[in-house]
Amino acid sequence: MKVDFEVMREQARIASLYRLLGIYNGLVVFLMAGFMSITQEKIIKSMSARSFLETLPIVPMPAGECFALSMGSFLLLVGLGHLYRRDTLTDTMRYFVFLAEISACLLVMRSLNLAYDGVVLLVVADLMHRYQGKNQSWLLLGAMFGLYFIANYNMAVFQGHVAPFDAYVSYYKSSVQAILVAVKNGFVSVNIILFVLYLVLLVQSKHQEKERIASLNKQLGDANKRLRAYAIEAERMAETRERNRLAREIHDTLGHALTGIAAGLDACIILVDAAPEAAKKQLAKIRETARRGIVDVRRSVKKLRPDDLEKLPLRHAIARMVAEFAESSNMKIKVIALGWPDNLREDEEEVIYRVVQEGITNANQHGHATEAIVTIGTEPGRNYIIIADNGIGCSEVDPGFGLRHMKERLGLLHGRLRYWSDNGFTLEATIPAGNRQEDDK
Amino acid sequence: MRRDIKRQLALVMLAVFLIASVLIYQRQEPDELKVGVFAGSNWGVPDGDSYAVIDEVIKIFEQEHPGVKVTYVSGIKKEDYSEWLAEKMLAGEAPDVFIVPGDDFNMYASMGALQDLTNYGNQDKDFSWTAYYPAALNYGRYDERVYGLPVASVPTLMFVNKTLLAREGIAIPKNDWTWQEFLEICRRVTKDKDGDGVLDQFGVYDYDWKLAAVTNGVKLFRDDGRASYFADHRVEEAMQFMIKLHDAQRGREVTAKDFDMGRVAFRPFTFAEYRTYKPYPWRIKKYSSFEWDCIKLPAGPSGDNVSNLQTMLMGVNANSRHKELAWQLLKDICYRPEIQQMMLTKTQGLPVRRDVVESKESQELFAANAPGCEEMDLRVVSEVMDKAVMRPKFKGYDEAMLMADTEIQKIIAGIVPFNNALNKLQKEINAYLQQ
Repeated sequence: MKVDFEVMREQARIASLYRLLGIYNGLVVFLMAGFMSITQEKIIKSMSARSFLETLPIVPMPAGECFALSMGSFLLLVGLGHLYRRDTLTDTMRYFVFLAEISACLLVMRSLNLAYDGVVLLVVADLMHRYQGKNQSWLLLGAMFGLYFIANYNMAVFQGHVAPFDAYVSYYKSSVQAILVAVKNGFVSVNIILFVLYLVLLVQSKHQEKERIASLNKQLGDANKRLRAYAIEAERMAETRERNRLAREIHDTLGHALTGIAAGLDACIILVDAAPEAAKKQLAKIRETARRGIVDVRRSVKKLRPDDLEKLPLRHAIARMVAEFAESSNMKIKVIALGWPDNLREDEEEVIYRVVQEGITNANQHGHATEAIVTIGTEPGRNYIIIADNGIGCSEVDPGFGLRHMKERLGLLHGRLRYWSDNGFTLEATIPAGNRQEDDK
Repeated sequence: MRRDIKRQLALVMLAVFLIASVLIYQRQEPDELKVGVFAGSNWGVPDGDSYAVIDEVIKIFEQEHPGVKVTYVSGIKKEDYSEWLAEKMLAGEAPDVFIVPGDDFNMYASMGALQDLTNYGNQDKDFSWTAYYPAALNYGRYDERVYGLPVASVPTLMFVNKTLLAREGIAIPKNDWTWQEFLEICRRVTKDKDGDGVLDQFGVYDYDWKLAAVTNGVKLFRDDGRASYFADHRVEEAMQFMIKLHDAQRGREVTAKDFDMGRVAFRPFTFAEYRTYKPYPWRIKKYSSFEWDCIKLPAGPSGDNVSNLQTMLMGVNANSRHKELAWQLLKDICYRPEIQQMMLTKTQGLPVRRDVVESKESQELFAANAPGCEEMDLRVVSEVMDKAVMRPKFKGYDEAMLMADTEIQKIIAGIVPFNNALNKLQKEINAYLQQ
C-alpha cells in the first residue's frame, strides 16, 4: 500500500511537470507569436513596411492570422498530446495520433517562423512517456532521431522561406534588441531545463518501478523457499511419526511374542512333570511363537532402518542427510570427522545416524539455529558425536520426545547423552567401543 | 475524468478556432477584385488623368463579368505607393491585381508574393506572349518565369535642339547616326559664344556611360548575375568615347539650366518626356524658346541605335482568392488592344503590344497628339522598342551598378588612369556578385 502511494505520488509529480512543460511552451508560443504580431503591426504603423519586407525572403503572414495559427496549432498539439497519452487508444490509432502530433508541432514551428523549436521537446516528452518494452526503446530512439531530423530538415528547408526572428528584432533600438534576443534564448534554455527535469523524473520513476518489481520478486522467491523447506520438514515429521508408530508396533509385536512365550513357559513348568508330552507340545508351540517373534522383529527392524544406511556407508549417509537437511532448512551445517569408528554394528550405525539427524533437527526446530557443527570422533574405548549450534538454546532443558528417544537408543548400546546450553545448544553422545572389537576377534 | 473534460475543452476550442478562421476568411466579399494603382505618371512626368485607363478597364470588365466588382484606392501618390503596397502585403490585404514598382519586382517575385503567370499565359487561348515587345515582356520575368505583365513601356530617345543646330548650320542627324557623328557635332557646338571666356554652348547634357554601353551592344552581366563583363572591349570603346565626350566639354559641367535655356544640342529624353512636352499645353510652357525633336540614340561602333527600356508592370497577388478573375482583369489591362491603345492617348507611355503600336489607328492618334514631328513616328518608336535592352534583374544589380558607376565616373573624369581600370573593376564587381 505504501509503495503504491509513493508510485502514485511520483506519477503525479511527473504529470504536473509535463503540464508545466506544456503550459510553459504555451506561454512561450503565445509571447513569441504576440511579439511578432505586434511588431508587424508596429512596422505597418510606422511606415517601414517596405524596408522590413526587403530583409525577408517571403511575405510573412498577416499579424492576426499568424497569431491565430500559432495558438491554434499549439492547442491542437496539446490536444493530440493528451489524446496520445490516453490508455484507451489502440496501437495503430496511437501512431496516427503521434504523426498528427508531429505535424502540429511542425505547424507551430512554421507559424512562429522557426524562431522557437522548443515544442519539439514537448513531442519527445510525449514519446518518452509511452516508452515501454525492449523494442520500444529502439523505436523511441529511432523516432527521436527522426523527429530531430525532421525539425532540422525543416529548419534547413524553410530557413529561406520564413521571416527570420532577427528581422523582427531589428525593428527595435539596439539596446532593446539585446534584451529581446536574451529573453528569447532564455525561453529556449528554461524549456530545455524543464525537459531534462521531466526526463530525469521519468527515468527515475521507471527505475523505481523496476526496483519495486525486483524486490517483490525476491520476496516471492523467499516465500517459495520457505514453503519448500516447510514441506520437507512436514514430510520428515510424518516419517518420524510413522517410525514411532512402527517402534510401538515392534514393541507390541515383541511384547506380544514375549508375553506369549512367558505364558507358554509358565504352562510348561506346570505341565513338565504332569504331562511331559503336553509340555513338549507346548514348548514346540512356544518355539514357534519365539521364531515368529524373531521374524517379526527382524522384519520390523529392517523396515525401520533408513534407506540411505541400507545403501551407503555411514559416512556418506550422514554426509548426504546433513547436506539434504542443510539445503532444505537453509542451515549451515559442517561435519567434522576426527576419526571414523570402524567395524560398527548396524544398530550402532543406526543410532549414530539417528542422533545426528535428531540433533540437527532439534537445532533447527527448537534452537532456531542457522549454523551447526557436527563433530564425530573416536577415542580409545568409545566413539562420540558432538552437535553444537548457534541457536537460542535454553536454560532449563525439558527433554522432549526427541531427546528421550535419543537417550533410549543410546541406552540400548550403553551409551550416554549429555547436553548443555552456552552459545547455543550443545549435545554430546558417547557410545562405548573397543571390547566388541576384541569379542569379534 | 478531469483530463477528459480538459481534452474535450481543447478540442472544442480548436473547433471554434477553425470555424472562426473560416468565417473570417469568407467575410471578404465573394467577388470583389481590388486593384492597386497610384496617382501620377510612372515616368516622372506631369500627368493629368491618372485613373483614366483603369476606370475604362473596370467599366469594360464589370460589363463582361456581371456580379464582379472591381475597386481601387485612389489618391496614393507614386512615391508612397511602394510603402503602401508593402504595408498591404504585410497586413495580408494586398490587392488582387496591382502595379509592381520596378524596384520591388524582384523582391516580390522572389518572396512568392506574385503569382506565376506563365501557365495562365500558356493555357489562355486568347493570349499570346509574342504580341509583346521582348524587352517589355522580359521585364516581368524572374527565374525564367513570368510574374508580371507589361502595361506600358518607355524607351529612351535623343532630344535634339533643332534651333541650335540650325544656327550652327548642322543638319539634324538621321536615325542611324553614330557616336562619331554625335561626337563631332558636340565638338563643333561647344564654344564660348559671347566671348566672356566661359563656355556657354554645349553638345550634350545628361548622357552617361550606361547609355553608351547600351548603344554599343554591351552586355554587362551574366544572366544569373554571378559575373560581369566590364573588361569587354565594347565597354572599353564606350569608355574611350565617354572620355572624348567629356573632353569635348573642356571640363565644364553642363547643368539642367543650360539645357532649359536652349544652350545644349542634345539630351537623352524618355519617350514619356517627349510625349508630355511635345503637345499642348506643355509645348508652350517648357522649351518654348527653341524648336526641338527626338531621334534615336547614336550607335556605337559595335552596337546599334537602340535604347534601354523602362516598363511598367502589373502582377497578380499570389494569395488572391480570385486568381482566374484577376488574370482576366490583368489581361484586360495589359493585353486588350483597345486598352493598350489608350496608353497613347491617356498616358505618356507606349503600348507594349507591337501590333497596337504599329497599327494605323495608333499612328493617326500619335500624329494628332504630337504635331510637328518630322523625325519621330511610331514606326521608328516600334523599331526602338523591338531592339530595346532590358535592365538586368538580379539581386545586387543596383549595388553593383552603383559601384561600377562610381568607379567609371572617376575614369571618365580622368581621376583614375584608364589603362587597366576596367579589368580591376570587373574583378571587384565579380567579387561582390559572388559573395
